[in-house]
Amino acid sequence: MRKTRVFTALSLILVMLSSGCTHAEVEQVGGIFVEGQSGGDAETLNWILAADAASFSYVGHTLDTLANYNNQLEIHLLCLAKDVEVSPDGLVYTITIRDDLKWSDGSQVTAEDYVYTLKNLMFSDWLNYPYKNSWQEDVDGDTVFVTPEVVDDTTFTITRQTVDPEFVYIIYDLIPYPKYITTKYEGDVEAFTQAPELNNLTYTGNLGPYKFAEWIRNDRYVVERNPEYYLGKDSGAPYFERYVIKLFGTSATIQAALEAGDITYCGIEPDKVSKFKSLESINVYTVPTASYTLVGYNHRANGWEGLKKTTIRQALSMSIDKQVITDKVYLGFAEPAFSFIPMTSPWYTDEGIAKYGVEVLYDKQKAIELFYQAGYGKKRADGTMEIIDKDDRLLKLILVTTTGGGLAEDIAFLIKQELSDVGIEVELKLVPWETLVRNYLMNKVPGTDQESRYNNGPEAVSDEPWDLVLMGFGTDVLAPSGSGIFFTTEGGLNFFGYFNTEIDKLFKRVRSKEALDKEVRQQIYAEISRILSEEQPVDFLVFRRSNVGFQKNVKGIEPGISMGYNYYLWYFE
Amino acid sequence: MGKSWLRDYIIKRLIYAVIIAWGIVTITFVLVRVGPSSPADKYLANMAASGQDVSQITTAIEARYGVDKPIFEQYADYMVNLFQWDWGWSFSTSMPVIDLIKTHWIYSFQLILLSSLFAAFLGILIGIYSAVKQYTKIDYTATFLSFIGISIPNFWLGVMLILLFSVKLGLFKAYYDTTLPLFSLENLKALVLPVITLGTGMLAGYVRYTRSAMLDNLRKGFVTTARAKGLPERTVIGKHAFRNAILPLFTIIMFDLGSIVFGGAYLTEIVFGIPGLGQISFNAIFADDYPVVVAVTLIGTFLILMINLITDVAYTYLDPRIRYD
Amino acid sequence: MTERLQNIARKIGGPLYSNRRLIEYYWQRTQRNKLAVLGLSFIAFLILLALIGPFFTLDPTLVNFEENNLPPVGFATEESVYNIYTDEFTTTEISGTWKHPLGTDSKGRDMLAMIISGARISLQVGLIATGIAITLGTIIGVLSAYLGGWADNILMRFTDVMMTFPFFLLLVLIVFIFGPSLALIVLVIGITGWTGTARLLRSEALSLRTRDFVTAAKALGASDGRVIFGHLIPNVASLIIVIATLSIPGVILAEAALSFIGLGDPTTTSWGIILNSGQQSLDTAWWIAVEPGIMLFLTVLAFNFLGDGLRDAFDPKSNI
Repeated sequence: MRKTRVFTALSLILVMLSSGCTHAEVEQVGGIFVEGQSGGDAETLNWILAADAASFSYVGHTLDTLANYNNQLEIHLLCLAKDVEVSPDGLVYTITIRDDLKWSDGSQVTAEDYVYTLKNLMFSDWLNYPYKNSWQEDVDGDTVFVTPEVVDDTTFTITRQTVDPEFVYIIYDLIPYPKYITTKYEGDVEAFTQAPELNNLTYTGNLGPYKFAEWIRNDRYVVERNPEYYLGKDSGAPYFERYVIKLFGTSATIQAALEAGDITYCGIEPDKVSKFKSLESINVYTVPTASYTLVGYNHRANGWEGLKKTTIRQALSMSIDKQVITDKVYLGFAEPAFSFIPMTSPWYTDEGIAKYGVEVLYDKQKAIELFYQAGYGKKRADGTMEIIDKDDRLLKLILVTTTGGGLAEDIAFLIKQELSDVGIEVELKLVPWETLVRNYLMNKVPGTDQESRYNNGPEAVSDEPWDLVLMGFGTDVLAPSGSGIFFTTEGGLNFFGYFNTEIDKLFKRVRSKEALDKEVRQQIYAEISRILSEEQPVDFLVFRRSNVGFQKNVKGIEPGISMGYNYYLWYFE
Repeated sequence: MGKSWLRDYIIKRLIYAVIIAWGIVTITFVLVRVGPSSPADKYLANMAASGQDVSQITTAIEARYGVDKPIFEQYADYMVNLFQWDWGWSFSTSMPVIDLIKTHWIYSFQLILLSSLFAAFLGILIGIYSAVKQYTKIDYTATFLSFIGISIPNFWLGVMLILLFSVKLGLFKAYYDTTLPLFSLENLKALVLPVITLGTGMLAGYVRYTRSAMLDNLRKGFVTTARAKGLPERTVIGKHAFRNAILPLFTIIMFDLGSIVFGGAYLTEIVFGIPGLGQISFNAIFADDYPVVVAVTLIGTFLILMINLITDVAYTYLDPRIRYD
Repeated sequence: MTERLQNIARKIGGPLYSNRRLIEYYWQRTQRNKLAVLGLSFIAFLILLALIGPFFTLDPTLVNFEENNLPPVGFATEESVYNIYTDEFTTTEISGTWKHPLGTDSKGRDMLAMIISGARISLQVGLIATGIAITLGTIIGVLSAYLGGWADNILMRFTDVMMTFPFFLLLVLIVFIFGPSLALIVLVIGITGWTGTARLLRSEALSLRTRDFVTAAKALGASDGRVIFGHLIPNVASLIIVIATLSIPGVILAEAALSFIGLGDPTTTSWGIILNSGQQSLDTAWWIAVEPGIMLFLTVLAFNFLGDGLRDAFDPKSNI
């Protein structure tokens, strides 16, 4: 192997430290954990302003949420003293936080801080918290915020007017802002945005396993061990001196760095997994994810009119081989998807689901037949079929997806090829994600001065015409009802323009009193999955498996769907 | 004082530089702000990716980033602030632009400095040698190699160096490590591949310029005279021939310095993940973070203008016959 | 670059197109330079390849995931496919086939076909953008010299601003803002790349302006347009040819660099775009980044050889 490598001064210390305690089986503090990332840098540590995943991940090292869940999807308490209590009518949530949480000035983190964060920041008009929708409910046609209330120092309640059995998962993710600092900036968005305490996380006290140390933009984010961490009182956790997120330009470079031992952990692309699995020094874990890839059909007026017909959508989905995507694009690290609910979710079922794109429902001949029956086929002299639009021209569809996505681009080309086998010409439009969002997903009713949104109702259309859109999304395994946003008439992300009152009702029911009964909720999810798989408003392609590689000397990892939920207990051997 | 005209000249050029810089800031500002994309786009895209509705958010985000006002007002605000040395707030990195530049300029600077030194030193040496040994195998080899050096796309060279020395041989790292102390051997080693990547093109250029300048001079009368006087060849070449080649070489090196700031260095930083100003402005462009884009452009422009001015002034000292009006 | 071109400018003179014997003379001088001939042959070969190559190769847009990441003939790699149900890999040895002599990319597209279609794009970009730049530069330069006075002043100050503008940054900025399309890239390179030409031609035209034949033409009542297009421009033609030849590689590289950083036109298979995609799989499929790079390099080299040869040929002082 590569022995000639020059170690950095820092990693030399790391090697010395970790070799000093090679055979000790106990967890010991020491070493620097370096995570490699290529997804781009965070935008801000002032997390309430952020919309990007990197920002939340950076902040997460210094501020714990109330709770998360483990690989068995059981609750794992963080700042909570005990699990959230829900009143029998499902409307009042009582949250009890630990009494040993401290801000950096030594003062206690109280229920007041949480309620303040909700009421004065997240729900405020001046700050425009991007995720405030999660905290709103629909009461008789009005969108209103839930009502938080302080009970005592460590207890507060949140009261809803409508039942949502999955609201509790939103609560688990709550992080407080320090009231004693934030009040200074209240009402002034510019001052708040530029507040040094909030941007340098100087207030985080014992709320996270690590404390902010340094952030060199586009290069590295460094946090250092927080010896006062409230979960480390008995165990001495966390065990790494520093946790570093190092940014790289390409995933190829990160993986080279992992192989060389320069970094401790990174994601591994499918084509490199077998190589890394064969390496002595690396542990590779393959874990299921809740992210899926889908092809959305444009049901709106600027999409091909055939896409409004269920049989046509079925025919299209029938022409795209999900097994090839799994095997040739993801090299086996994926499995065919038929709904937005991943197999790891307790709500998953494949009962009654139409599995388009595999086995009998992957049938191009049948697809052509369906086109013909729907009036979009014409027999040529030699008996073969050609697929035409209503003006008798050969059918041509526009498929949009993002550039630079690597594997997504591969899938787009694959779909183009699959559909050309059927006789449909696909024009690929590869655009940056921002452009895709702005020009293809956002829509408004033509001729009005509406603000563009992802779903401005059935009349609205996007600026640019499109027929198919390829993209990836994630589901919450425990609370998949959030995906209603894509498929319901009022759904804020229903850019596809798919409107089905049946589905609307089901998504309403899943967030209602009757769904408090898990049996009932299970049935509703099964029904939603069945209808979506039958109607094919979109073609779910695959659920991905992700691969992560660690240096072998990292111990305490529990591989699984929620890997890293207790990462503060990881240590170097 | 014989050179009092020089002071007036410098002042004239400085005023001129400020006007050009202002023009370029304005063009950049207009380009970034008038285009169809908005700083809110990235925000919206991020929200869509995490499954969030975006009602009303565009206006809110544009207000937060200060881009909701009419473009003239934004421009006026920006210029007024700039004159008060307030470079604005970078909303894509959440820090003051001036701090951002203060942290990152060094990474670009060390790369450019080392590459220029590497290229100038080796290039001049090989060029002189090649000229002295004109029409020998060495000369032909040097000429041919310099053609290759000029023609090789530097970003591809970078990728190939990574393929060979990092992926296949494991001798160097494929990325730059900012934790290394600035003045250390490790840092130098980390910069080897980037410097070769950026320096090769310049190096090849200098070989060619030096060679042709030397050949020109070696044919001239004063060299023949020096040789006739029986001066040792080393003195003839060093003192007489090379001295007269310094001036054009100096211009070229300075000109290169100006142009690589935003050409090769930009790409090299991206290939090797060096968080210098090039990469900063690159990311800022993608985030529509106009305060950063404008600031980095302004700095680059000003550098080029200053380099040009210094070159011209230095000329008058290197060659006292030169006079500008 | 400018300095080098200014030197040429000083050395070249005389109308070219009207004098067949002169062309022959220059051609002979160019021919004596072996490297220039080599460069010219390669360019001719490339043009031929770009023109008729696509008729003999596979469709460069044809994807085939059954044959992706195929190495070039004579090389072999492995591909492992994972089975999530058994936790096992099926590893197959893949070696290059003559069906895809240069291998395939991650989508199973034929590298040879893509490289040839990339040649077409690079040449198009190089020739059209240079054409625009040279035309603009010539008009502005000659006009500036001919008109003189405040028009000259304004035009040259504008040239200064454009010259100081960080060229590549401007390119990245405009292409990002208006979206990556090949037409836009060509246009932007063309519109921003004229400054050097303008300066050179201005100084050249300035010296011509006072020559007898221009004065004579004016005295005979020739219009401004006639003087510019009939006398000034033909007399700087040889200079224009040299500048054009030496500018083309820069233009081709600019497009490739843009594509390389992800701002290329994604609907094309330009060399820069292939290179960019190959960068991701350097360790598993090196040929995707290596092959287009070699072509890019050879093309630039060929134009440099030719340009250099032409410059020497037009330079009456140089004796090869």
